[in-house]
Amino acid sequence: MSAEQHLIAPEVVLDFLSAMMPFDELDEDTLHKVARHIRVDFFPKGTRLLTAGETELTHLFLIQQGGVKSFLTDDEGNVTLKDFRGEGAYIGALPIIRGTTANLDVETVEDTFCFLLPREVFLELIQEQPGFAQYYLKSFSEKIVNTAYTELRHHKMIRRGDEELYLFTIQVGDIIKQDLRKIASTATIQDAARAMAGYRIGSLFIHEEEDAENIIGIITDRDLRNKVVARGLDYKEPVSRIMTGLVAKILSQATCFDALLKMMSTGVHHLAIERKGRIIGVVTSHDIMLLQGTSPFSLFKEIGKQRRIQGLYPLSQKIPDIIRNLIKEGAKAGNIARMISLLNDQILERLLTLLEEELGPPPVDYCWLLLGSEGRREQTFKTDQDNAIIYADPPDAAREKIAAEYFSIFARKAIDHLVNCGYPLCPGEIMAVNPKWCQPVSVWKNYFASWIAAPEPEELLNATIFFDFRPGFGKVALADDLRDHLGALSARQEIYLLHLARECMAGRAPLSFFKNFIVAKNGEHRNKLDIKTQGLTPFVNFARVLALKYGIRETNTLSRLHVLSREGYLSEELWASAREAYEMQMQLRLIHQLSQIEEGVLPDNYIAPDQLSDLEKRMLKESFEVIERIQGVLKTIFPVG
Amino acid sequence: MLAGLFPGLRRKKHPALLRNKELFENFNQGGLLSDYTFVVCDTELTGLNRRRDEIISIGAVRIVNLQIELSQSFHCYIKPRNIDPNAATFVHRITPEQLLHAPPVEEVLPAFLDFCGSGLLVGHFVAIDMYFLNKASRRVLGGMVSNPSIDTMRLAKGYKEAQCIDHFGGCDQSASYNLDLLSEEFNLPRFKPHDALEDALQTAYLFLFLVKKLKHGGISTLKELYLAGRIFSLMGRG
Repeated sequence: MSAEQHLIAPEVVLDFLSAMMPFDELDEDTLHKVARHIRVDFFPKGTRLLTAGETELTHLFLIQQGGVKSFLTDDEGNVTLKDFRGEGAYIGALPIIRGTTANLDVETVEDTFCFLLPREVFLELIQEQPGFAQYYLKSFSEKIVNTAYTELRHHKMIRRGDEELYLFTIQVGDIIKQDLRKIASTATIQDAARAMAGYRIGSLFIHEEEDAENIIGIITDRDLRNKVVARGLDYKEPVSRIMTGLVAKILSQATCFDALLKMMSTGVHHLAIERKGRIIGVVTSHDIMLLQGTSPFSLFKEIGKQRRIQGLYPLSQKIPDIIRNLIKEGAKAGNIARMISLLNDQILERLLTLLEEELGPPPVDYCWLLLGSEGRREQTFKTDQDNAIIYADPPDAAREKIAAEYFSIFARKAIDHLVNCGYPLCPGEIMAVNPKWCQPVSVWKNYFASWIAAPEPEELLNATIFFDFRPGFGKVALADDLRDHLGALSARQEIYLLHLARECMAGRAPLSFFKNFIVAKNGEHRNKLDIKTQGLTPFVNFARVLALKYGIRETNTLSRLHVLSREGYLSEELWASAREAYEMQMQLRLIHQLSQIEEGVLPDNYIAPDQLSDLEKRMLKESFEVIERIQGVLKTIFPVG
Repeated sequence: MLAGLFPGLRRKKHPALLRNKELFENFNQGGLLSDYTFVVCDTELTGLNRRRDEIISIGAVRIVNLQIELSQSFHCYIKPRNIDPNAATFVHRITPEQLLHAPPVEEVLPAFLDFCGSGLLVGHFVAIDMYFLNKASRRVLGGMVSNPSIDTMRLAKGYKEAQCIDHFGGCDQSASYNLDLLSEEFNLPRFKPHDALEDALQTAYLFLFLVKKLKHGGISTLKELYLAGRIFSLMGRG
């Protein structure tokens, strides 16, 4: 008997770990060592694994098989679903790294087998394997770490510029903004605050009275707020009363990433930078955030600052990175879509403002309309342009001609720039550059009147994307006027709603099965599910027809549904189910498209059900059942025959 | 060696066996399941002939606190006494070469008993494993193994019968209780049938699944688990 034989970790664990990020980066010896520490546990469906604020993590959970949901329960018992995780996902990394109790409630939604990796072993990996810290921290924080470094390496995606690597290459010593600011421990609180105000800094070091080189503490804005103002402490007290005595330090040659790691693991936002035994400055979490430049907000601001249209091209290319980070951080699809709209709108606003400067002011007021998914604020990654221009009716024929010429040039330039920004042309030519869709108010009103009165439903159905218009830029009042007109028309002409409702009910939810889903039988998308047409569109159509019927001005599908429920047209319960189902499908689509982009494939809507986890399949199936229910609602509102 | 050839001559029990016996002198069945150590084992045999055949490998994993400890596994080949020169006929995935260089059961068995410690033995159709373990133990250690044993096949029967009685008030008697089919039916993670260790691991997953599912149904002590397995297996025979 050799003792070795007792220590061979079964292959199954090795296989599992070596296929899982970031364990796949470990060398063979380390992998074996880690595998030997693993225990296997089984949790029947419905087992509570973690309770936020209570559970102390003794190990990291790695899901071998099964699935869990994470959620938060507030004081009033309301539950917010945060995430579903399935095979190959981990649970509990953040609280272990931070040394806190669980940050979320976690419960199994299937019979689940987990590999348990003891806390100490995991922390050792975090300390010793640089890839580990990067991997987990990256996936945690909303603002701090949104670098795509690990992804970039794993997916071999082309990097756009080097700014994303700053975190890993720049030393903290290099980002010191100004000289070290300090004050003697005997100085008053007011002196300290005055110094901070004078230097315009958020933190100040405290040195020993006799020895200015000996840093003994730090105060921050927060100390002034929490320990002084809030408690009514006398400003004349010595500053040493409110300082934090132990200053966390970091060597000046450490990378910014090390600094970030230290901040996250110790929970402090300020680190003293040490060089040759002396404190030479401070680095804050804010400094590091600024380094990244890919947070949604910083991109938003950067777009707004552009002075040249060409400057917008590279900025709009950053949007997918931002979306990717939001997805990885577990943001909900509805919020992601709204974020995309915000950023796209900002690009559009800047672009058209600069274009107006270039071409001179428009002869009459106009509004750039966004249609279809843009109009509904439901874009994912780069979707086709669907836009139009509506302008105020010119007073005479001469000025009508001038306006038509101006907007024709304006639209052509705008569309070209948008293409350069990465928004593909609309194959159906529903764009402002098409003279048909660049018209004065009176013509637009006639368009809608004719669609609504159309005896042929065909023409109406081709025009549905126009019903989701919203103002993108320019004179909002023009779009509002058109919306009012549409409302008045709808109230008189209900028959077209019946056509829309019929169309909505015609599509059957895919509940017959290939691996439980209806899929294309042949062609390029054989055995795939079209998540847009079969999944999302029925919700969009449903929300649109009811919004038109009840005069709801919202264009976003979830907002429409929400208003419908608030005004009592839709039961609270159905609204909740529909929201969950719709968001789930949007999420699946986003993730699908994200992985296509990372593989360098043009994103589409075709999902292969056999590549979904059991959990995803089940959720998708449940979401299709909701479609049947909303169709039932339509049937009662619009009885057929 | 003489004692090995003539078991009757052996008066003195092997120290490993004495230690083993001592561990179970005051065995308490009333404890919580999570307080016991379970040793899930699988043996591979030269055949099923009770008189002639013998164990050629043992694989085992330990379950502590109702969690499988992968750091604590046991896997060993055993050189059989009557090694067949045409041993390629072995149904197992073991080559004759591996067996020729393996230690004899006289060395492996005491090591295995030490590995088991005070753990309860768990196996799928454990009676077979126990028969051949005891046969070897009597011969080379001078007595029987004292560890109580639990049969996952009986537990599975108990679980399935309890389930279908709950739902339909009747029971499908034709169901198979083969380890592979059960693992498939319960949708357990699957292992390539590889060797005794992987089989033991598959059995350990089954055991964990059953125990925790039964625990949900209110079974929390060893005694209750024993009754669940036994009562249902009697019913199954009727």
